[in-house]
Amino acid sequence: MTRYILGRFAQALGVLWAAYTVTFAVLYLLPSDPIALQLGAAGIETDKLTPAELHTAKARFGLDRPILEQYFSDLWGFLRGDLGESIAKQQSVASLIGDRLAPTLSLSLAAAVVALLAGTALAYLASYVRWRPARLVLTRLPSFGASFPQFFIALVLIQFLSFNLGLLPATGIRGWKSLVMPTITISILVASQLAAVLMRSFDDTLSQPYIVTARAKGLSRAAVQWHHGLRNALLPATTILGVLVGLTVTSSIIAETVFSRNGIGKLAQEAVLAQDVPVVLAIVTLAAAIFVVVNLVVDLLYPLLDPRIVQGQRKEVTI
Amino acid sequence: MSRRGIAATALAVTAALGLTACGSSDDEGGANTTAAEPVAGGTLKVAFFPDNPQFTCLDPFQTYWIEHRTVIRNVADSLTDQDPKTGEIKPWLAKSWEVSADGKEYTFHLRDGVTFSDGTKLDAAAVKANFDGAQGVVKETGGTAYGASYILGLDHSEVVDPLTVKVVFSAPNSSFLQASSTTNLAIISPDSYKKTAKERCLGQYVGSGAFTLESYKPNELTVLQKRPGYTWGSALSKNTGEAHLDRVEFSYVAEDSVRTGNLVSGAIDISWPRSPITVEDRELIKKSGGVIESRSLPGVASAYYPNASAGHVLSDLKVRQALYKGIDLATYAKTSFGDDYPVVGGAFDNTTPFYASQASKLAYDPDGAIKLLEEAGWKPGEGGYRYKDGKRLTIVFPTSSLSVSSELIQDQLKKVGIELKLDVHPPAELPALYKNGAYDLASSYFTRADPGALQFLLDPKYANSKALATNAAAPETTAKIQALFAKARETTDDAVRKQAYADLQALLIDEGVVFPQYERVQFAGVSKDVHGFAFTSESFLKLNDVWKQQ
Amino acid sequence: MTTSVVPETTGTEAPAAASAAAAAAAAAAAAAAAAPATAAPVAGAKPGAGGALLSERLIADSEPGGRWVGLRATARTLAVKPGFVLAVLFIAFVVVSAFAPGLFTSRDPYSTAPAERMDSPSLNHLFGTDELGRDLWTRMLYGSQLTIKAALIALGIAIVIGLALGVLSGLSGGFFDALLMRIVDVQLAIPVLLLSLAIVTALGFGTVPVAIAVGVGIMPAFARTTRAEVLRVKTLPFVEASRAGGASWPRVLLTHVLPNSCGPVAVLAVLDTGVAILYIASLSFLGFGAAPPQAEWGTLISAGRNYLVTAPWVSLLPGLFVAAVVLSLNHISKTIQERER
Repeated sequence: MTRYILGRFAQALGVLWAAYTVTFAVLYLLPSDPIALQLGAAGIETDKLTPAELHTAKARFGLDRPILEQYFSDLWGFLRGDLGESIAKQQSVASLIGDRLAPTLSLSLAAAVVALLAGTALAYLASYVRWRPARLVLTRLPSFGASFPQFFIALVLIQFLSFNLGLLPATGIRGWKSLVMPTITISILVASQLAAVLMRSFDDTLSQPYIVTARAKGLSRAAVQWHHGLRNALLPATTILGVLVGLTVTSSIIAETVFSRNGIGKLAQEAVLAQDVPVVLAIVTLAAAIFVVVNLVVDLLYPLLDPRIVQGQRKEVTI
Repeated sequence: MSRRGIAATALAVTAALGLTACGSSDDEGGANTTAAEPVAGGTLKVAFFPDNPQFTCLDPFQTYWIEHRTVIRNVADSLTDQDPKTGEIKPWLAKSWEVSADGKEYTFHLRDGVTFSDGTKLDAAAVKANFDGAQGVVKETGGTAYGASYILGLDHSEVVDPLTVKVVFSAPNSSFLQASSTTNLAIISPDSYKKTAKERCLGQYVGSGAFTLESYKPNELTVLQKRPGYTWGSALSKNTGEAHLDRVEFSYVAEDSVRTGNLVSGAIDISWPRSPITVEDRELIKKSGGVIESRSLPGVASAYYPNASAGHVLSDLKVRQALYKGIDLATYAKTSFGDDYPVVGGAFDNTTPFYASQASKLAYDPDGAIKLLEEAGWKPGEGGYRYKDGKRLTIVFPTSSLSVSSELIQDQLKKVGIELKLDVHPPAELPALYKNGAYDLASSYFTRADPGALQFLLDPKYANSKALATNAAAPETTAKIQALFAKARETTDDAVRKQAYADLQALLIDEGVVFPQYERVQFAGVSKDVHGFAFTSESFLKLNDVWKQQ
Repeated sequence: MTTSVVPETTGTEAPAAASAAAAAAAAAAAAAAAAPATAAPVAGAKPGAGGALLSERLIADSEPGGRWVGLRATARTLAVKPGFVLAVLFIAFVVVSAFAPGLFTSRDPYSTAPAERMDSPSLNHLFGTDELGRDLWTRMLYGSQLTIKAALIALGIAIVIGLALGVLSGLSGGFFDALLMRIVDVQLAIPVLLLSLAIVTALGFGTVPVAIAVGVGIMPAFARTTRAEVLRVKTLPFVEASRAGGASWPRVLLTHVLPNSCGPVAVLAVLDTGVAILYIASLSFLGFGAAPPQAEWGTLISAGRNYLVTAPWVSLLPGLFVAAVVLSLNHISKTIQERER
């Protein structure tokens, strides 16, 4: 077991390191001139500077070092929790992300909870309802929910709930009301994905022999579905948790942009537009870290949740 | 030049402005006139266009985007103030001033009893500290700091007595008096200049304004608080004492429709866009009982600047002239911004002092354009475009997504056989493109109630983008432009100054250096509960008189 | 010569697919061999799957390959389903319009007409006109040209790279397999939209960079699906027989493995067209799409958003059109799967 856990940790760290490296490569090996871009982002135009001034400017942002040296010193910084300095915003990336973390966290949590409840309820209902037309509608709902571009949903929500009815604030991060529409925007997609997986999982679980047996014993369908079906159907669904969390993170870019919420997603969009490389690098790595951590937790908890999994098999799994 | 000279300047400016000032705002509903007695208290909520994503800054000297200049205006006072109606320079922190006969020395006599919000005295030493600090920033940034063009030729400043300060120039600078009224030369405490330029950018400075900066969260929320005990407002405000409002919150909203929606639904009090509010949204705001305020932003109009360097299609004067004739500015203004929108008449917006309309040279004349292109050797060919030596007449225009209705101009130019290629890039990439000369047209604008504003774009010595300035005209034309600017700046005779700026404006169109796109009108959607709305001479929002119906 | 049966294969081979995401699922599969489908979602899943449903990927992955014959057999029964027929016809229309927009409109998508600014939908202008008086129906059709082509480029990239990686990985096994799958894992860990943003910044704006970014982003699903299929097909009795009979690997690959693996990959491709369309729309919405006056669907929706209150059709009709396309694609694949079961 210890070896399994250590292996999983090592693997998670490896993935994280590689994600950092890939992002660094994409950002620094651009066909454009990253130095001019970054100095431009700081409001300095290279063509106005003398060579000596250019050198000073480069040194100020640590851009005068060879690329590999930059990579290793940046990586070492990351390991120590120093995420560097935003070139455009002239403050440390860590504090920038720290400032923006709360709105994104609250939105992600709200969206995750709503999506979990809505997705599970939908899947439960879809497999419980017997009336064919209703069942058809319910099973098609996830498909439907996942077909609309998220920014489109956001725009329509603003249009109706804010402008027409004046119920909710269209922008900002103050008060629970400002959370409602972004949460709906994100959770429609995430709930659809979850419900789709669960529906399939339910169907498989409910056709298992032990369910048939339970029914034969005279338990009601609702009771069987609740006691046996739900738990066994949810179990495999935990494996897509990482995927769903990743989806929530990505969705926040769109939701925060449309609803003018100053969170990490909007920061990412701003940073890309301003070509603020250190910020982009930090956010992508952070997203990767969240994904890796969620999967690690799922991996570690899974054997506890599903006692059928035996140690022997895990050794092969970890490689 | 003495006080009399100044009065003469003011008169000349008045004459220049007489026909044009506030030309567009009359039929837009007018201000909520303060018929009722102002009520004290309340929080005013203003929604801005997003903060500058590339450069976070709230420091007066370094900030150039209009939203933050509004914030600065209400936090820090200037030596002088400028009358938005007449362009006249009025006393503020300086109760009077003299200008030496050679135009090189400005002596300001400060008002007594003014303090910064940290309690320190605003005296001659503090003013000197500001000019020293500004010179320091100019040096540090290699002249690229935005405020540099406001203190051209500044040699040094000296304390004459505790309330008298002398600013000495190495060459005359006739636009300095106007500069002293701007937010860019707003006076901040000497301690503020002990901080780094970066710290000041993040709001770590104090001014003497009617409001103090409570907090600045970039692109999120900027909060101002009333400064108790304020008594030195400029006479241009009705209220020269403490502000009526307790608190002002500036938020940043990217979507125009969301800003309008917020105003209409009552979530904010003032919607302050970057580009003009659409006709549709203006109707919507009026229907909700709100008021539309508008005033042209003085300074450089929204315009295209050519890359006239060798090897580019626009190096040919005939093609540049054809470009004027091929663009239908009247239809553009009407379609993009509504029937009553002013049509741009030259390099400057019509609220700029010394504005001289060039409208007659900018008339739409597609036949004339075709004739010029034919003469220049561009013959019709495939796809309706013109060709010379097998090469299509393509004009590359790199832009960020901000550009308004460029596709309309693109379609207009297509009719005379010119392909306008809109090349969309992230804003941060544009400077590099300009630097490499990989463009034919670049667009820019700049707000300052003085024609000198254009130096920030066109004079390679002071320009924000040296490449753009260098490429915009042939070296001999650039020399002519510089000479006219110098002539206007270094004269003490207003007639000469006026003539120089008139010649300059004619030259810019005759030589095809500036291609005006639209008059920049600053709109503001104002809730019916807000009273006392006022624009500064630079069309920023001035809050001294603003109060809110409780 | 072994005669391994499929469940066993799932038990021993799938865990080798282990990754941050797949490990637990694979373990579940190993344990719950009776329900191999439960293991599959992750095999094809990826973070930020913008639209295609995970469960459908799951089915795509879990279906044994080589269903083309079955597909053809069920085509006739599907033809009587009105919803399905409608969806197919709609997609056919969109695809045709993408390659020959002139068939459905006689107007110029870029020609402005200030006098006809913001006309509401009518017989003359099916989708109304925009703020410059351009016909939105025409712009939508010419937008198909860009969006569908971008989606196809993205898909092409994803399929070619994904297939190559998957086949290499599945056939080679061992260290090389592990290495390739680690690379795919890393890509899974970076949300597609973020990765696309970074790539678009590197390559510049425009349809092709957006297509490349999305293609790279959705590639891992193809690599995994292909690999899983190759692993499965590789051990089928007739393949083993063919190998034993002296056929070279490339030959076996071409004659047996690929034909038998392509079914699930094809179903995934249909689904991911929808995903790609949504990503492309999102990136155009964020302002990274084609240069004006050309406009992808996302650009059209985003351009109209300032007129939501006063001229809602400018944004809403293109939005509904995009939703209809993605929904049709989802419906087509879902219906096929249900028939297949």
